Formats: sequence, C-alpha cells, structure tokens
Amino acid sequence: MKRKLILLVVALTILGLLAACGPSPAPAAPAAPAGDAPAPAADAPAGDSGLTFETIRLAFIHVGDAADMGYTYRQHRGTTDMMIHHRIGEDQVRNFFNIAPGGPADTAILEAIEWGADAIFATSFGHGPHMLEAAREFPDVQFFHATGDLALDNNLPNFHNYFGNMSQARYLSGIAAGLRTETNVLGFVAAHPFAEVITGFTAFYKGALSVNPDVTMYVMFMNAWNNPTLESQIAQALIDRGADVIGQHADSPAAQTTAQANGVWSVGYNNNMIPAAPDAVLVSPMFDWSVYLNHAVELLVAGQDVQTDFLAGMNEGMVLLSALNPNTVVDGTAEAIAAAEGDIRAGRNLFVGPIYDNEGNQILADGEEWIERQSAPSWNHIIQGITVIE
Amino acid sequence: MDTFINFFNAAVLAGTPLLFGTLGEILTEKSGNLNLGVEGMMFMGALSGLAAVFLLEVGLGVEMSGIMAVLLAIIFAFLAGAFGAFLYSVLVVSLRTQQNVTGLALTIFGIGFGNFFGEFFGRNSPVGFVTISLSARQGFANLNIPLLSDIPILGPMLFNYNILVYLAVALAVGLAFFLNRTRWGLNLRAVGESPATADAASINVTRYKYLATCIGGGICGLGGMYISMVTTSGVWVHNSVQGFGWIAVALVIFATWSPSRAFIGALVFGGFTVMRFYLPLGIPMQIYDKFPYLATILVLIVTSIRQIKEHSPPAHVGVNYFREER
Repeated sequence: MKRKLILLVVALTILGLLAACGPSPAPAAPAAPAGDAPAPAADAPAGDSGLTFETIRLAFIHVGDAADMGYTYRQHRGTTDMMIHHRIGEDQVRNFFNIAPGGPADTAILEAIEWGADAIFATSFGHGPHMLEAAREFPDVQFFHATGDLALDNNLPNFHNYFGNMSQARYLSGIAAGLRTETNVLGFVAAHPFAEVITGFTAFYKGALSVNPDVTMYVMFMNAWNNPTLESQIAQALIDRGADVIGQHADSPAAQTTAQANGVWSVGYNNNMIPAAPDAVLVSPMFDWSVYLNHAVELLVAGQDVQTDFLAGMNEGMVLLSALNPNTVVDGTAEAIAAAEGDIRAGRNLFVGPIYDNEGNQILADGEEWIERQSAPSWNHIIQGITVIE
Repeated sequence: MDTFINFFNAAVLAGTPLLFGTLGEILTEKSGNLNLGVEGMMFMGALSGLAAVFLLEVGLGVEMSGIMAVLLAIIFAFLAGAFGAFLYSVLVVSLRTQQNVTGLALTIFGIGFGNFFGEFFGRNSPVGFVTISLSARQGFANLNIPLLSDIPILGPMLFNYNILVYLAVALAVGLAFFLNRTRWGLNLRAVGESPATADAASINVTRYKYLATCIGGGICGLGGMYISMVTTSGVWVHNSVQGFGWIAVALVIFATWSPSRAFIGALVFGGFTVMRFYLPLGIPMQIYDKFPYLATILVLIVTSIRQIKEHSPPAHVGVNYFREER
C-alpha cells in the first residue's frame, strides 16, 4: 500500500515537472520576423541558383552554446542579425549547438542535408575535416567553415573558409592595456597553443608595447577553449606573478571577474564583457559575424560564387572594439586608439620587422612584412618580451 | 616564500568545491547509498544559489548586501542539492532502483537543469547573462580578519579566504565529530555497514538513508554554489562545474571515507590542479592534469594491498536493503 502511494507521488511529480517544462519558450532566435513578413513571390529576384531569401535554407553548427556569452554567443548573434537583415524566417534556419568535432559533427552535417539545407556553416576549427569530407560528397550543398584553413589547399567550388582579422582589434585593445598597467606586466589567459591564439596575444602585446616600451607579458595556456575554473585559476596565477592587466583568448568571462575580485584590470574578448566585471574591463575586441553571413547569403541568392577564402577586418566591420569603459581606462586612451585605428584602417600591417623571438632569434628582418597566405593566421613565434609559463 | 603562499592560497581555493562535494558524498555513502549524481547536484546547487540572488535582485530592483547574498545562496544551493538527492532517495531507497544507474541519471538531469535554467534566465536578463550586483559579490570576497590577517606568513596563509572556505572546514570538522563521536553517527555507520543488523537494533534504516543522502546532496550543492559564486564571481557560465563532481567521487576513495582525510585530500587535489601555474617543471602541461588521477590509483592500490578495515568502504555501499530478504 505504502509503496503504491509513493509510486503515485513520484509519477505525479514527474508529470508536474514535464508540465512545467512544456510551455517555457525554447531557446530560439530572439526577435526574428518569422511569419509576419509579406511574401513577395512575384518580385523575388531569383538568380541562376534558384534560391531566394524566402526559400533558402541555412544550417549552423556550433561547438558550444549561445549561453557561453562569448564566442558562440557572438556567432549566433551574427546569424540572428543576418536573418533580420534579409527577413529570413525562423523555419529557414536550423541551429546545431554543442556539436563536438568527430562523430557528432558528421551526424549534424548529414542531418542538416537531410533537412534540406542549401548552405551549412560550421564555426569551430575542429569541424574542418568533417566539412571538407561532406563537401566532396555533396557537391550541390555549399559549405562554409569559420576559422578553418583547409579551403584554399583543397579548392573545391562548394567549400569556403572565412575569418575576421582579429589582430587589428587585439592590437587596439593592447593600447588600452599598455597605458593602464602600473606594474608594466600584462597577463594573458590563452586557450590552446595554436597559431590563431599566438597571433592574437602577439598583436595584443605589440599594441601595449607601442605605447609603453617597458611592458612585458606572461602567457599561460589552458589546453581548452572554454573552462571557467581554469580560466579563473590562471588569471589568479598571473595576478600573483605581478600582472595587473589580464587579457584572454578564452570563451567565458571568468578571467574578467577574477581580475575584478583582485582589484586589477582586464581586457575582454568576443563579447562586451563590461557587465561581467564593470570595475576591471577596459575594453573588449569583438567579432561581428553577420558581416560575412550577409555577404555569403547575398552571393548565394544572386547565384554567384563565394570566395574560397575570405578575410575581413575593421574596415568591413567584421571585427570591432566594444566601447571603452570610462571608469577604468586612463585619460588619453581613446585618442591613442583612434590614432592607431586610423593607421590600421589605412592598411598598416602589424607584423613588420625587426621582430625577434624570446630566444633572441630574428624572425623578421628590418622592414620585412609578415604576409598571411589565407584567412586563418599562422604566426607561431613567441616574441621578445613575452614569457610562456608551462 | 611569496610564491609558496600564493600556491597554498590557490590550492585551498581550488580544493574547497572538491571538499564540499567529497564531504557530501562521504555522508551519503556512509548510509550505504553510492550516489554518483554529485556532478548533477553540484550543477543544481551552482545554478540555484546564483539564481536565487539574481532573481531577487532583478525582481525587486535592489542591490543585495553581501551577507544576505551569502545566506540566500547557501540556503537555495543546499535546497537544490537536497532536492536532487531526494529524487535519488525516492528511487533508490523506496523503489529499490539500481544505484549506479540512478546516480548517473541524476548527473544528466542536474547538468541539464543547471545549463537550461542558466541559459533561460540569461536570455531574459537585462545584461544578457546571469550576474549579481557588486555589493552582493562582496559577500564572497576574501575576508580581512582584523589582527589575524596581519600575522606574517600565517595571516595570508590561513586567515585571508572567503567565508565559504571556513564553512567547508567547519563542515569537515563537524562531520568527523558526528560520524565518530555521536550516537547518530554510529547508527548511520551501522546502516551503511549492515542495514539488517541496524534494522534488528531498531534503527530506522529508511529514515537514516533518506536524511544522510539528502543532507549529503545539499552539501554537494554548496560545492557547486562555490563555483558559480566564487570561482566565476557570481556570473553563470555554461558548464561551469565541468567534472568537479567526478573528482569529488574519486576523492572519497582517496580519503577512504574519512572527513579529516578528505580535508587533506582536497588540499592535495586542489594543489595538483594549480601546480603547473606556480611550480613550472618544464614538463608537458597535460601531465600535470593527470596527477590527481594517478594519486587516486596509487591510493586504491595501496589501500587494497594493506587491507585495513577502517580504510575500506562501508560494507553495504551500493547495495539496496530489502527487509524481506533478511
């Protein structure tokens, strides 16, 4: 008897839980015009492709979740901005979140194709090989891979890489850090020891160096893209070593909040992180992925080829700086950044010799420029003034 | 010396969430329930402690004082962890489901619970993610105890932590006292060692299992709250607990079911996780990450070779009790 009663209570509780979960809004794209767009079937500008903004189907594969408030959040934000811009309905877009490289990526790609995707966008470096394989197998579907480096060498008509020139915004954020620091020691919480990360913190350090010749920087790697506990512990260890401005190539705001708890400063990444640590964050370099998504979707609909490898920077609005935090930056930061931004927009290369690595070897001769061959950066040297701790 | 003090501080901070999780799981396992849902309960505690402060601040439009935030976070994190453990207890103690499977299900449920509501509240938050006011965060900042904090070396080593560190230490001492020095503690150990004997001695086995599991779950929830409130400073971060619950389960074995050894174990494991940032040895960093697990394996081997009774798990941990099968 007693057992039955308990069973009944449990069953009711579970039913109640299910009912409570039911009506809560699914994490869908906010404010996208779904069904209210008038369907101008007559004047739809159909190109050779036969695709229109009203019919095109787009799939997005993300390694994380928009709740990271960093990388994937900005990627997803790019998608929703593009949807609003071109009045693409919610039923025309399918998002796959938390898709790890490997089996899950293959499954997601096949699922997207079965759903009828005309174009598939994957946003993590590790998705590259899976996208390439699928591009070979399905020549009628267009594949777009952010941050990857495989498109140029394989040169398929339906496989594309794209990236933003983050070094530009990193360099400018470094200026704010170099002016702010009092100990002349910066700290950098770095994800993986990959070229993309190394290029990023090198640009950040060079920005700081341009306004503060005495500045040095410690770097520690996490071996993860997103691990808030490690990010916080590393930020603490860097602060313990004397760093008073913390930069990051990591997905969450944990390093920022650690800087705030220690009364030092920080530079965010991916997203405007001032709300997370209002007394610490100076500024955050950010991506605006909608710039590329708009461009690619327009070309698709017009029936034109999309570039195999695409890179855009501050001029196109693909990368940008958040607003400066007036409570934390020193006077004159805005002017110094504006001056350097003018040079960058005019086409200044940030990697010009002489550059020495931290063992004293000369990497670039006087006046020699480092030219990237594709959108994914390849700078892999630890330059003088930076100490990697491992 | 400064490096050592910084290293010690970082080890204590890294070890505290582990200590909560370990203490909660020790209490649970002493009742004969092997609850593998520590990770899930930590997620539930992490989200609930943070969300309680966040929702009240947003709902009332106020900035909460530090002490209020700490109290609220402790209460709600404890309740959330205890709720997860209560679900587990209903299934395992009353309905006799298989313990490992139920624990794993609780882990999956808890992770989903934390991430779903964290994301849901974040999307509806004015700033785009779940965060609490600066004054509320002050409650989780390092305490500066007059006089004590100023003692050279000992001051920064012992008297300069946030309030939850001291709560964890107090819990460890309290749990050791409870298990070894009180009648209730003796009864609980009897339930874990041999529920049939305990039942014959007119100990209410079901009540002990329920209470120990739920309170243990609540303590695990506090460990999760430590991560969301201290480690990430009151900002909800997707997947923030990330494996701490599993390390806590390993630490229970490392500590051989003793709260005082859990205290040392948490410090050692905490030290291992931050070691490479303070004592660079020039070896590949992935090797550092393996130290805690290597240590657990070593302890397992040593304890199983030495076969000491008091270092072995409760005899009936993982086994459900059917009175009818006596």
